[in-house]
Amino acid sequence: MGNFWNLILNENMKIYRRVRTWIMLGFIVLLPPLISILVMIFSDGPSSNWNMMMMESYILFILVTIFTVVIASETVAGEFTWGTIKLLLIRPWSRSTILLSKYLSTLMFALTFIVAAFIVTLLVNIVVFGYSGNASELSGTVGISDWEYALKYYLFQFISLIIIVTFGFMMSSAFRSSGLAIGLSISFLFAGSIVANLFSVIDKDWVKYVLFMHLNLTSYIQGVGPIPNHPTTLGFSLAVLAGYFILFNLISWTVFRKRDITA
Amino acid sequence: MSQAPVVRLQNVTKVIGKRTIIDRVSFEVQPGEVFGFLGPNGSGKTTTIRMIVGLMGLTEGDIQIAGHSVRKEFPKAIIHVGAIVENPEMYKFLTGYQNLLHYARMNPSITKERIQEVIELVGLQGRIHDKVKKYSLGMRQRLGVAQAVMHRPKLLVLDEPTNGLDPAGIRELRDYLRRLAQDEGTAVLVSSHLLSEMELMCDRVAILQKGQIIDVRSIRGQTVDKAASEEVQFDVDHPDAALGILEGQGSGKIVDGLLTLSVDRTGIAALNRRLVEAGINVYGIRVKTKSLEDQFLEMTGSETIG
Repeated sequence: MGNFWNLILNENMKIYRRVRTWIMLGFIVLLPPLISILVMIFSDGPSSNWNMMMMESYILFILVTIFTVVIASETVAGEFTWGTIKLLLIRPWSRSTILLSKYLSTLMFALTFIVAAFIVTLLVNIVVFGYSGNASELSGTVGISDWEYALKYYLFQFISLIIIVTFGFMMSSAFRSSGLAIGLSISFLFAGSIVANLFSVIDKDWVKYVLFMHLNLTSYIQGVGPIPNHPTTLGFSLAVLAGYFILFNLISWTVFRKRDITA
Repeated sequence: MSQAPVVRLQNVTKVIGKRTIIDRVSFEVQPGEVFGFLGPNGSGKTTTIRMIVGLMGLTEGDIQIAGHSVRKEFPKAIIHVGAIVENPEMYKFLTGYQNLLHYARMNPSITKERIQEVIELVGLQGRIHDKVKKYSLGMRQRLGVAQAVMHRPKLLVLDEPTNGLDPAGIRELRDYLRRLAQDEGTAVLVSSHLLSEMELMCDRVAILQKGQIIDVRSIRGQTVDKAASEEVQFDVDHPDAALGILEGQGSGKIVDGLLTLSVDRTGIAALNRRLVEAGINVYGIRVKTKSLEDQFLEMTGSETIG
Protein backbone atom coordinates (compact mmCIF):
# COMPACT_ATOMS: atom_id res chain seq x y z
CA MET A 1 0.00 0.00 0.00
CA GLY A 2 1.37 3.34 -1.00
CA ASN A 3 4.89 4.32 -1.72
CA PHE A 4 7.69 3.67 0.76
CA TRP A 5 9.66 6.60 -0.64
CA ASN A 6 6.96 8.91 0.77
CA LEU A 7 7.84 7.74 4.27
CA ILE A 8 11.50 8.59 3.61
CA LEU A 9 10.43 12.02 2.34
CA ASN A 10 8.47 12.54 5.54
CA GLU A 11 11.37 11.62 7.78
CA ASN A 12 13.70 13.83 5.78
CA MET A 13 11.24 16.70 6.07
CA LYS A 14 11.30 16.27 9.84
CA ILE A 15 15.12 16.29 9.83
CA TYR A 16 15.86 19.11 7.39
CA ARG A 17 13.03 21.49 8.27
CA ARG A 18 14.72 22.16 11.57
CA VAL A 19 17.22 24.94 12.05
CA ARG A 20 19.53 22.82 14.17
CA THR A 21 20.23 20.42 11.29
CA TRP A 22 21.63 23.34 9.28
CA ILE A 23 23.68 24.50 12.24
CA MET A 24 25.17 21.00 12.37
CA LEU A 25 26.00 21.16 8.68
CA GLY A 26 27.52 24.59 9.28
CA PHE A 27 29.98 23.01 11.72
CA ILE A 28 31.01 20.40 9.17
CA VAL A 29 31.52 22.93 6.41
CA LEU A 30 33.15 25.74 8.39
CA LEU A 31 35.38 23.88 10.84
CA PRO A 32 37.91 22.47 8.31
CA PRO A 33 38.73 25.81 6.63
CA LEU A 34 39.03 27.43 10.06
CA ILE A 35 41.50 24.79 11.30
CA SER A 36 43.48 24.79 8.06
CA ILE A 37 43.84 28.55 7.95
CA LEU A 38 44.88 28.71 11.60
CA VAL A 39 47.48 26.00 11.02
CA MET A 40 48.76 27.77 7.91
CA ILE A 41 49.16 31.04 9.85
CA PHE A 42 50.67 29.72 13.07
CA SER A 43 52.54 26.57 12.07
CA ASP A 44 56.27 26.86 11.23
CA GLY A 45 56.90 23.74 9.20
CA PRO A 46 55.13 22.97 5.93
CA SER A 47 52.00 20.78 6.25
CA SER A 48 50.72 18.39 3.62
CA ASN A 49 47.12 18.50 2.47
CA TRP A 50 46.69 14.77 3.25
CA ASN A 51 47.90 14.97 6.82
CA MET A 52 45.70 17.96 7.54
CA MET A 53 42.74 16.27 5.89
CA MET A 54 43.05 13.19 8.11
CA MET A 55 43.49 15.26 11.25
CA GLU A 56 40.33 17.24 10.48
CA SER A 57 38.46 14.13 9.40
CA TYR A 58 39.17 12.54 12.77
CA ILE A 59 37.44 15.48 14.49
CA LEU A 60 34.62 15.59 11.97
CA PHE A 61 33.86 11.89 12.44
CA ILE A 62 33.37 12.47 16.16
CA LEU A 63 31.07 15.40 15.35
CA VAL A 64 29.08 13.56 12.70
CA THR A 65 28.69 10.58 15.05
CA ILE A 66 27.31 12.85 17.77
CA PHE A 67 25.03 14.65 15.33
CA THR A 68 23.69 11.41 13.88
CA VAL A 69 23.15 9.98 17.35
CA VAL A 70 21.08 13.08 18.15
CA ILE A 71 19.03 12.56 14.98
CA ALA A 72 18.67 8.82 15.60
CA SER A 73 17.59 9.39 19.18
CA GLU A 74 15.05 12.02 18.34
CA THR A 75 13.56 10.26 15.33
CA VAL A 76 11.82 7.72 17.55
CA ALA A 77 11.91 9.18 21.06
CA GLY A 78 10.93 12.63 19.78
CA GLU A 79 7.68 11.33 18.37
CA PHE A 80 6.84 10.00 21.82
CA THR A 81 7.82 13.25 23.53
CA TRP A 82 5.85 15.36 21.07
CA GLY A 83 2.87 12.97 21.19
CA THR A 84 2.88 12.78 17.39
CA ILE A 85 3.48 9.02 17.55
CA LYS A 86 -0.28 8.66 18.07
CA LEU A 87 -0.98 10.25 14.71
CA LEU A 88 1.97 8.63 12.95
CA LEU A 89 1.09 5.03 13.76
CA ILE A 90 -2.58 5.21 12.77
CA ARG A 91 -1.74 5.20 9.06
CA PRO A 92 -1.95 2.27 6.66
CA TRP A 93 1.64 1.19 7.32
CA SER A 94 3.01 -1.45 9.62
CA ARG A 95 5.09 -0.28 12.53
CA SER A 96 8.10 -2.14 11.15
CA THR A 97 7.97 -0.20 7.91
CA ILE A 98 7.65 3.11 9.71
CA LEU A 99 10.65 2.25 11.88
CA LEU A 100 12.61 1.20 8.79
CA SER A 101 11.92 4.57 7.13
CA LYS A 102 13.27 6.26 10.24
CA TYR A 103 16.37 4.09 10.37
CA LEU A 104 17.19 4.53 6.69
CA SER A 105 16.65 8.29 6.87
CA THR A 106 19.04 8.45 9.81
CA LEU A 107 21.70 6.55 7.86
CA MET A 108 21.12 8.81 4.86
CA PHE A 109 21.70 11.79 7.11
CA ALA A 110 25.00 10.28 8.29
CA LEU A 111 26.08 9.48 4.74
CA THR A 112 25.25 13.00 3.53
CA PHE A 113 27.27 14.56 6.33
CA ILE A 114 30.21 12.19 5.82
CA VAL A 115 30.31 12.88 2.08
CA ALA A 116 30.19 16.60 2.87
CA ALA A 117 33.06 16.15 5.34
CA PHE A 118 35.15 14.27 2.77
CA ILE A 119 34.65 16.87 0.03
CA VAL A 120 35.21 19.85 2.31
CA THR A 121 38.36 18.51 3.99
CA LEU A 122 39.79 17.39 0.65
CA LEU A 123 39.16 20.65 -1.22
CA VAL A 124 39.97 23.05 1.61
CA ASN A 125 43.37 21.48 2.23
CA ILE A 126 44.27 21.31 -1.44
CA VAL A 127 43.41 25.01 -1.71
CA VAL A 128 45.29 25.98 1.45
CA PHE A 129 48.32 23.69 1.29
CA GLY A 130 48.49 22.65 -2.37
CA TYR A 131 48.14 19.12 -3.74
CA SER A 132 51.05 16.94 -2.72
CA GLY A 133 50.48 14.26 -5.32
CA ASN A 134 49.34 10.71 -4.87
CA ALA A 135 52.25 9.63 -2.66
CA SER A 136 52.19 7.38 0.39
CA GLU A 137 52.57 9.99 3.09
CA LEU A 138 49.73 8.70 5.25
CA SER A 139 50.48 5.01 5.38
CA GLY A 140 54.27 5.42 5.62
CA THR A 141 56.06 2.09 5.20
CA VAL A 142 52.90 0.17 4.19
CA GLY A 143 53.02 2.07 0.95
CA ILE A 144 49.39 2.43 -0.09
CA SER A 145 48.47 5.60 -1.93
CA ASP A 146 47.06 8.57 -0.03
CA TRP A 147 43.80 8.39 -1.93
CA GLU A 148 43.36 4.76 -0.98
CA TYR A 149 44.24 5.50 2.62
CA ALA A 150 41.75 8.36 2.85
CA LEU A 151 38.93 6.38 1.27
CA LYS A 152 39.57 3.32 3.44
CA TYR A 153 39.70 5.54 6.52
CA TYR A 154 36.29 7.01 5.67
CA LEU A 155 34.81 3.59 4.92
CA PHE A 156 36.04 2.00 8.16
CA GLN A 157 35.05 4.96 10.29
CA PHE A 158 31.64 4.99 8.66
CA ILE A 159 31.13 1.35 9.64
CA SER A 160 31.90 2.17 13.29
CA LEU A 161 29.58 5.15 13.07
CA ILE A 162 26.73 2.93 11.86
CA ILE A 163 27.20 0.64 14.86
CA ILE A 164 27.13 3.49 17.36
CA VAL A 165 24.13 5.10 15.67
CA THR A 166 22.31 1.74 15.60
CA PHE A 167 22.95 1.50 19.32
CA GLY A 168 21.48 4.99 19.79
CA PHE A 169 18.50 4.07 17.66
CA MET A 170 17.90 1.00 19.80
CA MET A 171 18.08 3.05 23.00
CA SER A 172 15.67 5.57 21.52
CA SER A 173 13.19 2.89 20.56
CA ALA A 174 13.56 1.01 23.86
CA PHE A 175 13.46 3.91 26.31
CA ARG A 176 11.49 6.55 24.37
CA SER A 177 13.80 9.12 25.90
CA SER A 178 16.07 10.95 23.51
CA GLY A 179 18.19 12.36 26.35
CA LEU A 180 19.00 8.91 27.66
CA ALA A 181 19.66 7.57 24.18
CA ILE A 182 21.97 10.46 23.29
CA GLY A 183 23.82 10.27 26.62
CA LEU A 184 24.40 6.53 26.49
CA SER A 185 25.48 6.55 22.84
CA ILE A 186 27.97 9.35 23.33
CA SER A 187 29.46 7.74 26.42
CA PHE A 188 29.59 4.60 24.29
CA LEU A 189 31.59 6.57 21.74
CA PHE A 190 34.10 7.97 24.25
CA ALA A 191 34.25 5.22 26.86
CA GLY A 192 34.61 2.71 24.06
CA SER A 193 38.28 3.39 23.46
CA ILE A 194 39.06 3.43 27.21
CA VAL A 195 37.32 0.09 27.70
CA ALA A 196 39.12 -1.24 24.64
CA ASN A 197 42.49 -0.25 26.12
CA LEU A 198 41.68 -1.86 29.47
CA PHE A 199 40.41 -5.09 27.94
CA SER A 200 43.27 -5.42 25.47
CA VAL A 201 45.67 -6.35 28.29
CA ILE A 202 43.38 -9.15 29.52
CA ASP A 203 44.71 -12.46 28.35
CA LYS A 204 41.36 -14.11 27.76
CA ASP A 205 39.83 -15.22 24.51
CA TRP A 206 36.40 -13.60 25.08
CA VAL A 207 38.01 -10.20 24.75
CA LYS A 208 37.90 -10.75 21.01
CA TYR A 209 34.11 -10.72 21.10
CA VAL A 210 33.69 -7.46 22.99
CA LEU A 211 32.10 -4.84 20.76
CA PHE A 212 34.34 -1.98 21.84
CA MET A 213 37.45 -3.79 20.63
CA HIS A 214 36.31 -3.54 17.03
CA LEU A 215 35.22 0.06 16.72
CA ASN A 216 38.67 1.20 15.63
CA LEU A 217 38.84 -0.57 12.28
CA THR A 218 41.25 1.99 10.83
CA SER A 219 44.17 0.11 12.37
CA TYR A 220 43.64 -2.52 9.66
CA ILE A 221 44.78 0.02 7.07
CA GLN A 222 48.25 -0.33 8.60
CA GLY A 223 47.78 -4.10 8.52
CA VAL A 224 47.42 -4.59 12.29
CA GLY A 225 44.30 -5.61 14.16
CA PRO A 226 42.80 -3.34 16.83
CA ILE A 227 43.70 -5.69 19.72
CA PRO A 228 47.48 -6.03 20.02
CA ASN A 229 47.40 -9.20 22.16
CA HIS A 230 44.84 -10.97 20.00
CA PRO A 231 45.61 -10.85 16.31
CA THR A 232 42.36 -10.66 14.36
CA THR A 233 41.51 -10.26 10.72
CA LEU A 234 39.31 -7.55 9.20
CA GLY A 235 36.79 -10.24 8.31
CA PHE A 236 36.60 -11.34 11.93
CA SER A 237 36.07 -7.79 13.17
CA LEU A 238 33.33 -7.20 10.61
CA ALA A 239 31.63 -10.46 11.64
CA VAL A 240 31.63 -9.42 15.31
CA LEU A 241 30.24 -5.99 14.39
CA ALA A 242 27.60 -7.61 12.17
CA GLY A 243 26.54 -9.76 15.14
CA TYR A 244 26.00 -6.72 17.35
CA PHE A 245 24.35 -4.86 14.45
CA ILE A 246 21.78 -7.61 14.09
CA LEU A 247 21.23 -7.83 17.84
CA PHE A 248 20.66 -4.07 18.22
CA ASN A 249 18.22 -3.94 15.33
CA LEU A 250 16.40 -7.02 16.54
CA ILE A 251 15.80 -5.30 19.88
CA SER A 252 14.74 -2.02 18.23
CA TRP A 253 12.22 -3.68 15.98
CA THR A 254 10.84 -6.09 18.56
CA VAL A 255 10.29 -3.38 21.15
CA PHE A 256 8.81 -0.91 18.68
CA ARG A 257 6.41 -3.42 17.16
CA LYS A 258 5.05 -4.72 20.46
CA ARG A 259 4.88 -1.57 22.50
CA ASP A 260 1.57 -0.15 23.69
CA ILE A 261 1.49 3.54 22.90
CA THR A 262 0.40 5.35 26.03
CA ALA A 263 2.19 8.65 25.39
CA MET B 1 -31.46 -2.71 3.87
CA SER B 2 -29.25 -3.90 6.66
CA GLN B 3 -25.82 -2.35 6.62
CA ALA B 4 -22.62 -3.90 7.82
CA PRO B 5 -21.25 -2.12 10.88
CA VAL B 6 -18.23 0.07 10.29
CA VAL B 7 -16.60 -1.03 13.50
CA ARG B 8 -17.30 -4.09 15.56
CA LEU B 9 -15.76 -4.89 18.92
CA GLN B 10 -16.06 -8.45 20.12
CA ASN B 11 -15.20 -9.30 23.70
CA VAL B 12 -12.33 -6.89 23.72
CA THR B 13 -10.23 -7.42 26.81
CA LYS B 14 -7.05 -5.72 27.95
CA VAL B 15 -5.02 -7.02 30.84
CA ILE B 16 -1.99 -5.06 32.00
CA GLY B 17 -0.01 -6.94 34.60
CA LYS B 18 -2.70 -8.51 36.73
CA ARG B 19 -5.26 -5.77 36.28
CA THR B 20 -8.07 -6.13 33.80
CA ILE B 21 -8.33 -2.64 32.32
CA ILE B 22 -10.99 -3.49 29.74
CA ASP B 23 -13.31 -6.40 30.37
CA ARG B 24 -15.14 -8.09 27.46
CA VAL B 25 -16.32 -4.93 25.73
CA SER B 26 -18.52 -5.50 22.67
CA PHE B 27 -20.40 -3.01 20.53
CA GLU B 28 -20.94 -1.97 16.93
CA VAL B 29 -21.18 1.37 15.22
CA GLN B 30 -23.26 1.68 12.04
CA PRO B 31 -22.52 3.94 9.06
CA GLY B 32 -23.87 7.45 9.63
CA GLU B 33 -24.16 6.95 13.35
CA VAL B 34 -22.61 9.15 16.01
CA PHE B 35 -21.73 6.86 18.86
CA GLY B 36 -20.74 8.24 22.23
CA PHE B 37 -18.43 6.65 24.68
CA LEU B 38 -19.18 7.88 28.12
CA GLY B 39 -17.54 7.19 31.40
CA PRO B 40 -15.80 8.71 34.38
CA ASN B 41 -12.06 9.31 34.25
CA GLY B 42 -10.16 6.05 34.45
CA SER B 43 -13.06 3.96 33.19
CA GLY B 44 -11.12 2.81 30.11
CA LYS B 45 -12.43 5.09 27.36
CA THR B 46 -9.04 6.09 26.07
CA THR B 47 -7.65 2.56 26.34
CA THR B 48 -10.53 1.20 24.26
CA ILE B 49 -10.01 3.91 21.66
CA ARG B 50 -6.28 3.22 21.54
CA MET B 51 -7.04 -0.44 20.91
CA ILE B 52 -9.44 0.43 18.09
CA VAL B 53 -6.81 2.51 16.30
CA GLY B 54 -4.05 -0.02 16.95
CA LEU B 55 -1.96 1.99 19.37
CA MET B 56 -2.45 -0.66 22.05
CA GLY B 57 -2.65 -4.39 21.62
CA LEU B 58 -5.59 -6.56 22.62
CA THR B 59 -5.20 -9.25 25.24
CA GLU B 60 -8.31 -11.03 24.00
CA GLY B 61 -11.14 -10.50 21.55
CA ASP B 62 -11.06 -8.78 18.20
CA ILE B 63 -11.83 -5.45 16.59
CA GLN B 64 -12.96 -5.26 12.98
CA ILE B 65 -13.06 -2.09 10.93
CA ALA B 66 -14.92 -2.34 7.61
CA GLY B 67 -14.58 -6.10 7.94
CA HIS B 68 -10.80 -6.15 8.53
CA SER B 69 -9.29 -7.26 11.81
CA VAL B 70 -7.10 -4.68 13.49
CA ARG B 71 -4.98 -7.52 14.83
CA LYS B 72 -4.38 -9.40 11.60
CA GLU B 73 -4.73 -6.88 8.78
CA PHE B 74 -3.81 -3.62 10.44
CA PRO B 75 -3.06 -1.49 7.34
CA LYS B 76 -6.27 -2.62 5.62
CA ALA B 77 -8.33 -1.85 8.69
CA ILE B 78 -6.73 1.45 9.68
CA ILE B 79 -6.95 2.97 6.20
CA HIS B 80 -10.67 3.49 6.92
CA VAL B 81 -10.01 5.34 10.16
CA GLY B 82 -9.36 8.96 10.92
CA ALA B 83 -8.61 9.80 14.51
CA ILE B 84 -7.60 12.32 17.09
CA VAL B 85 -6.45 10.57 20.24
CA GLU B 86 -6.51 13.03 23.12
CA ASN B 87 -4.92 16.31 22.05
CA PRO B 88 -4.03 16.72 18.39
CA GLU B 89 -0.26 16.85 18.72
CA MET B 90 1.47 18.24 15.66
CA TYR B 91 5.05 18.82 14.59
CA LYS B 92 5.50 22.32 15.98
CA PHE B 93 8.55 23.09 13.85
CA LEU B 94 6.61 22.41 10.66
CA THR B 95 3.89 24.57 9.14
CA GLY B 96 0.26 23.51 9.23
CA TYR B 97 0.50 22.63 5.56
CA GLN B 98 3.64 20.53 6.02
CA ASN B 99 1.91 18.66 8.83
CA LEU B 100 -1.00 17.82 6.54
CA LEU B 101 1.36 16.92 3.71
CA HIS B 102 3.16 14.54 6.07
CA TYR B 103 0.00 12.54 6.76
CA ALA B 104 -1.27 12.88 3.18
CA ARG B 105 1.89 11.21 1.88
CA MET B 106 1.12 8.18 4.00
CA ASN B 107 -2.22 7.61 2.33
CA PRO B 108 -2.25 7.07 -1.44
CA SER B 109 -5.82 8.33 -1.89
CA ILE B 110 -5.12 11.93 -0.87
CA THR B 111 -4.44 14.43 -3.66
CA LYS B 112 -3.05 17.97 -3.38
CA GLU B 113 -6.54 19.27 -4.25
CA ARG B 114 -8.04 17.30 -1.38
CA ILE B 115 -5.55 18.85 1.06
CA GLN B 116 -6.62 22.30 -0.14
CA GLU B 117 -10.27 21.36 0.17
CA VAL B 118 -9.82 20.20 3.75
CA ILE B 119 -7.87 23.34 4.70
CA GLU B 120 -10.83 25.42 3.51
CA LEU B 121 -13.27 23.11 5.25
CA VAL B 122 -11.68 23.75 8.64
CA GLY B 123 -11.13 27.42 7.82
CA LEU B 124 -7.37 27.52 8.18
CA GLN B 125 -6.50 28.90 4.72
CA GLY B 126 -5.17 32.20 6.11
CA ARG B 127 -2.68 30.61 8.52
CA ILE B 128 -1.83 27.26 6.95
CA HIS B 129 1.72 28.27 6.03
CA ASP B 130 2.55 29.43 9.56
CA LYS B 131 4.51 27.20 11.89
CA VAL B 132 2.25 25.19 14.19
CA LYS B 133 4.08 26.55 17.25
CA LYS B 134 2.36 29.87 16.50
CA TYR B 135 -1.11 28.30 16.47
CA SER B 136 -3.70 28.67 19.21
CA LEU B 137 -5.22 25.55 20.74
CA GLY B 138 -8.37 26.04 18.70
CA MET B 139 -6.36 26.21 15.49
CA ARG B 140 -4.49 23.04 16.41
CA GLN B 141 -7.83 21.34 16.98
CA ARG B 142 -8.88 22.39 13.48
CA LEU B 143 -5.65 21.05 12.05
CA GLY B 144 -6.29 17.85 13.98
CA VAL B 145 -9.73 17.52 12.43
CA ALA B 146 -8.24 18.23 8.99
CA GLN B 147 -5.71 15.39 9.23
CA ALA B 148 -8.41 13.05 10.52
CA VAL B 149 -10.90 13.61 7.68
CA MET B 150 -8.45 14.14 4.80
CA HIS B 151 -8.80 10.60 3.45
CA ARG B 152 -12.62 10.51 3.86
CA PRO B 153 -12.53 7.79 6.52
CA LYS B 154 -15.48 5.48 7.12
CA LEU B 155 -14.85 5.75 10.83
CA LEU B 156 -13.87 8.91 12.64
CA VAL B 157 -12.59 8.42 16.17
CA LEU B 158 -12.36 11.40 18.48
CA ASP B 159 -11.10 11.12 22.03
CA GLU B 160 -12.30 14.02 24.19
CA PRO B 161 -12.63 16.28 21.14
CA THR B 162 -14.06 19.26 22.99
CA ASN B 163 -11.11 19.60 25.36
CA GLY B 164 -9.72 23.08 25.04
CA LEU B 165 -12.41 24.32 22.67
CA ASP B 166 -14.49 27.41 23.42
CA PRO B 167 -18.31 27.15 23.28
CA ALA B 168 -18.40 28.38 19.68
CA GLY B 169 -15.76 25.84 18.71
CA ILE B 170 -17.66 23.03 20.42
CA ARG B 171 -20.83 23.97 18.59
CA GLU B 172 -19.02 24.14 15.27
CA LEU B 173 -17.44 20.74 15.83
CA ARG B 174 -20.78 19.23 16.83
CA ASP B 175 -22.51 20.57 13.73
CA TYR B 176 -19.66 19.38 11.57
CA LEU B 177 -19.75 15.85 12.99
CA ARG B 178 -23.50 15.59 12.51
CA ARG B 179 -23.16 16.79 8.93
CA LEU B 180 -20.37 14.30 8.26
CA ALA B 181 -22.49 11.46 9.62
CA GLN B 182 -25.60 12.48 7.70
CA ASP B 183 -24.10 13.52 4.37
CA GLU B 184 -21.15 11.19 3.98
CA GLY B 185 -22.39 8.29 6.08
CA THR B 186 -19.31 8.44 8.27
CA ALA B 187 -19.52 6.53 11.51
CA VAL B 188 -18.30 8.71 14.36
CA LEU B 189 -17.04 7.40 17.68
CA VAL B 190 -16.65 10.12 20.30
CA SER B 191 -15.52 9.74 23.85
CA SER B 192 -16.17 12.28 26.53
CA HIS B 193 -16.96 12.74 30.16
CA LEU B 194 -19.04 15.81 29.33
CA LEU B 195 -22.54 14.39 29.44
CA SER B 196 -24.47 17.38 28.18
CA GLU B 197 -22.14 17.52 25.18
CA MET B 198 -22.73 13.85 24.39
CA GLU B 199 -26.47 14.30 24.69
CA LEU B 200 -26.38 16.91 21.93
CA MET B 201 -23.91 15.12 19.71
CA CYS B 202 -24.70 11.42 19.74
CA ASP B 203 -27.30 9.01 18.44
CA ARG B 204 -26.33 6.32 20.90
CA VAL B 205 -24.08 6.20 23.92
CA ALA B 206 -22.31 3.39 25.68
CA ILE B 207 -21.64 3.93 29.34
CA LEU B 208 -18.37 2.52 30.51
CA GLN B 209 -17.38 1.91 34.07
CA LYS B 210 -14.33 0.13 35.40
CA GLY B 211 -13.62 -1.29 31.97
CA GLN B 212 -17.07 -2.72 31.39
CA ILE B 213 -19.98 -1.45 29.34
CA ILE B 214 -22.83 -1.14 31.79
CA ASP B 215 -25.37 0.25 29.36
CA VAL B 216 -25.90 1.19 25.72
CA ARG B 217 -28.83 3.46 24.96
CA SER B 218 -30.31 5.53 22.18
CA ILE B 219 -30.58 9.25 22.63
CA ARG B 220 -32.19 10.35 19.41
CA GLY B 221 -35.50 9.12 18.02
CA GLN B 222 -36.60 7.90 21.41
CA THR B 223 -40.38 7.41 21.21
CA VAL B 224 -42.29 9.07 23.99
CA ASP B 225 -44.02 6.48 26.10
CA LYS B 226 -47.46 7.98 26.58
CA ALA B 227 -48.53 5.69 29.35
CA ALA B 228 -45.46 6.20 31.53
CA SER B 229 -45.73 8.37 34.58
CA GLU B 230 -43.38 11.30 34.77
CA GLU B 231 -42.50 13.80 37.38
CA VAL B 232 -44.54 16.92 36.75
CA GLN B 233 -44.20 20.29 38.43
CA PHE B 234 -47.10 22.72 38.66
CA ASP B 235 -46.32 26.36 39.32
CA VAL B 236 -49.43 27.64 41.12
CA ASP B 237 -50.30 30.61 43.35
CA HIS B 238 -51.45 28.55 46.37
CA PRO B 239 -49.49 25.29 46.46
CA ASP B 240 -50.99 24.20 49.79
CA ALA B 241 -54.55 24.71 48.63
CA ALA B 242 -53.74 22.92 45.41
CA LEU B 243 -52.33 20.00 47.30
CA GLY B 244 -55.59 19.74 49.22
CA ILE B 245 -57.60 19.67 46.01
CA LEU B 246 -55.47 16.93 44.58
CA GLU B 247 -55.77 14.81 47.72
CA GLY B 248 -56.04 11.22 46.71
CA GLN B 249 -54.23 11.72 43.43
CA GLY B 250 -51.12 9.83 44.43
CA SER B 251 -48.05 11.19 46.11
CA GLY B 252 -48.15 14.91 45.63
CA LYS B 253 -45.71 17.10 47.53
CA ILE B 254 -44.39 20.60 47.53
CA VAL B 255 -40.80 21.04 46.39
CA ASP B 256 -39.29 24.53 46.26
CA GLY B 257 -42.78 26.03 46.25
CA LEU B 258 -43.80 23.90 43.29
CA LEU B 259 -46.49 21.27 43.46
CA THR B 260 -44.70 18.11 42.36
CA LEU B 261 -46.24 14.77 41.60
CA SER B 262 -45.94 11.73 39.45
CA VAL B 263 -48.57 11.45 36.76
CA ASP B 264 -49.02 10.26 33.15
CA ARG B 265 -49.79 12.39 30.11
CA THR B 266 -53.59 12.36 30.24
CA GLY B 267 -53.40 12.92 33.98
CA ILE B 268 -51.63 16.23 33.47
CA ALA B 269 -54.52 17.67 31.49
CA ALA B 270 -57.09 16.38 33.96
CA LEU B 271 -55.21 17.83 36.90
CA ASN B 272 -54.82 21.18 35.25
CA ARG B 273 -58.57 21.39 34.60
CA ARG B 274 -59.36 20.58 38.21
CA LEU B 275 -56.96 23.21 39.49
CA VAL B 276 -58.39 25.87 37.22
CA GLU B 277 -61.96 24.92 38.13
CA ALA B 278 -61.06 25.29 41.80
CA GLY B 279 -59.95 28.86 41.12
CA ILE B 280 -56.22 28.30 41.43
CA ASN B 281 -53.98 30.15 39.01
CA VAL B 282 -51.60 27.89 37.12
CA TYR B 283 -48.51 29.74 35.87
CA GLY B 284 -46.64 26.82 34.43
CA ILE B 285 -46.52 23.05 34.03
CA ARG B 286 -43.17 21.42 33.56
CA VAL B 287 -42.37 17.78 32.88
CA LYS B 288 -39.11 16.90 34.55
CA THR B 289 -37.24 14.71 32.07
CA LYS B 290 -34.26 13.00 33.44
CA SER B 291 -31.16 14.29 31.75
CA LEU B 292 -28.48 11.92 30.62
CA GLU B 293 -26.45 13.26 33.48
CA ASP B 294 -29.04 12.17 36.05
CA GLN B 295 -29.27 8.76 34.46
CA PHE B 296 -25.53 8.47 34.26
CA LEU B 297 -24.96 9.37 37.88
CA GLU B 298 -27.77 7.06 38.88
CA MET B 299 -26.04 4.21 37.11
CA THR B 300 -22.44 4.82 37.98
CA GLY B 301 -23.17 6.11 41.46
CA SER B 302 -20.58 8.28 43.07
CA GLU B 303 -18.06 5.52 43.35
CA THR B 304 -14.44 6.41 43.45
CA ILE B 305 -12.07 5.35 40.71
CA GLY B 306 -11.04 1.82 41.54
